[in-house]
Amino acid sequence: MTTATEITDATVREVTEWLFGEAELLDTGKYREWLDLVAEDLSYVVPLRVTREREADTDIVEGMTLMDDDWDSMEMRVLRLETEYAWAEDPPSRSRHFVTNIRVAAGEAEDELAVKSNLLLYRTRGDVATFDILSGERHDVLRRVAGGYRLAKRVVVLDQTTVMTHNLALIM
Amino acid sequence: MLRDELRQILEKGLRDVEADWTVPAAIINDPEMHDAERERVFGRSWVFLAHESEIPERGDYVVRYISEDQFIVCRDEDGEVRGHLNSCRHRGMQVCRAEMGNASHFRCPYHGWTYNNKGSLVGVPAGREAYGNKLDKSLWQLKPVPKLGTYKGLVFGCLDPDAPSLDDYLGDMKFYLDIVLDRSDAGLQVVGAPQRWVVDANWKLGADNFIGDAYHTMMTHRSMVELGLAPPDPKFALYGEHVHTEHGHGLGIIGPPPGIPLPEFLGMPENIVEQLQRRLSPEQVEVFRPVAFIHGTVFPNLSIGNFLMSKDHVSPPTSFLTLRLWHPIGPDKMEIMSFFLVEKEAPDWYKEESYQAYVRTFGISGAFEQDDAENWRSITRVLGAQYAKKMELNYQMGRGVYEPDPDWPGPGKAFPMDYAEANQRNFMEYWMQLMVTDPASHTGNGKVSDEAAAEALARAEA
Repeated sequence: MTTATEITDATVREVTEWLFGEAELLDTGKYREWLDLVAEDLSYVVPLRVTREREADTDIVEGMTLMDDDWDSMEMRVLRLETEYAWAEDPPSRSRHFVTNIRVAAGEAEDELAVKSNLLLYRTRGDVATFDILSGERHDVLRRVAGGYRLAKRVVVLDQTTVMTHNLALIM
Repeated sequence: MLRDELRQILEKGLRDVEADWTVPAAIINDPEMHDAERERVFGRSWVFLAHESEIPERGDYVVRYISEDQFIVCRDEDGEVRGHLNSCRHRGMQVCRAEMGNASHFRCPYHGWTYNNKGSLVGVPAGREAYGNKLDKSLWQLKPVPKLGTYKGLVFGCLDPDAPSLDDYLGDMKFYLDIVLDRSDAGLQVVGAPQRWVVDANWKLGADNFIGDAYHTMMTHRSMVELGLAPPDPKFALYGEHVHTEHGHGLGIIGPPPGIPLPEFLGMPENIVEQLQRRLSPEQVEVFRPVAFIHGTVFPNLSIGNFLMSKDHVSPPTSFLTLRLWHPIGPDKMEIMSFFLVEKEAPDWYKEESYQAYVRTFGISGAFEQDDAENWRSITRVLGAQYAKKMELNYQMGRGVYEPDPDWPGPGKAFPMDYAEANQRNFMEYWMQLMVTDPASHTGNGKVSDEAAAEALARAEA
């Protein structure tokens, strides 16, 4: 059991490998397997940001988000991708999750870790010779379970107000 | 002036939309069409700017666009809603560089000219020394949007000082807007702020989809049909009405298929249902009672979605209301602004369920909306090419199948089913009419607009 005083090198390595493994599942379209890594009390939120003056307390909007999912709605997304009619991702995007700047800290519960990471998500579709890039910081809560971790919470703070990809069909 | 080739395409398009029920593909993605459209469509129409609930307090502001012009839409110190061009009168710099906030004054970061939120120039650094008291500040207020109007909380602006009033422009569409906007005593609240994202698609495809396209649901959203989030009956839109009005507006209103029990009034909470039955006319109540889906467009680029939908595949449906602005930023690119609104007096459980249903089905991550963006991108790309542009697009649904509905209790031209394209033709016809109509006088950007702007300011201050 990891506690507040025990963020060891081994823990950091485990978390890093978990995040890299997760990225691989997402970039290879193994959404059903990804769902197995998700806790049943999942909260997955992409906040909405606006351009505010520096004196404003925050540029994150209260009450509205770009995405706000729980386990059921995530399962809906995966079930949707498993139909033959999810045109937004069929043919699928080519995506690459670049995960860096991993910071591991103790979580609020004894069996949880608060993990921050930077994400660069590259995406191309079809034969169009352009690409979309999303950059953001992920704030995860990873819960230790037998044999690994489950994603209990993720907040993805994107570095954009007007988002420059045509949908958030990819899990970040 | 329009180039002859463009004019020919549009004039033929106007004949064809009437006679053959087709629309020229060339109007979708063409740089010259887009240039002409900026002036002829967006320079003349009433364009949605904001909802009053976004700027409830004195000093509150948001920055919004009409075509490429950006306006500070604010509530001034007297509580009046104003629209100021976000451009300093000295060198044109933006005087407001945040998207939203609260400010009594806007100070230009370039040289410090300062305006109050009525738009008046109140401060010029070193004014006495540099201008020798010869600068008449009253002549250099922020340019007001030539016309500003509000209908049931929706704030619109218009760049054409000679345009009809907002009231006349909305016309018969108001009957239907009321059903969406005026259901409760305290009115609607925009929750948070709009989502904004860019799609490589022409804005008209969004407007065309929302104004009348119930037909796409079965195929575009088939994944959601399979998961039980959209009606499984391919004929669901048969049980709806397809209505359009003057000035290109239109909507579809769909009830439940026979035998499928859905709650009345979009399943809205009891206290709102009680209020709406008192606030709306008997005809409006009759129209709204069986409704499960309302989709519509206020010409040119404001659409409405009021849908009864589930937040996932295991939950019962809740209704939500979204407004979206298809803001053109090129012939092949638009920014979508998607607003979520809810009645201020709705109970908290409803507000939460409604928000979740909205954000998971529509908006940038919505499981429905994703597939729409995919289609519109693809169409735009294909129709930007020389051979594809020469096509006519088929707008013939319902031709010879049904006639206008004589029994419909609401205004406008109504058809008894929502598998129809009368609204889309009406929209495109009005758009093409605006496109072929030359401006009354061409005096460039000089005197005419200056005087009109001064007049609008005088009216606003009177």
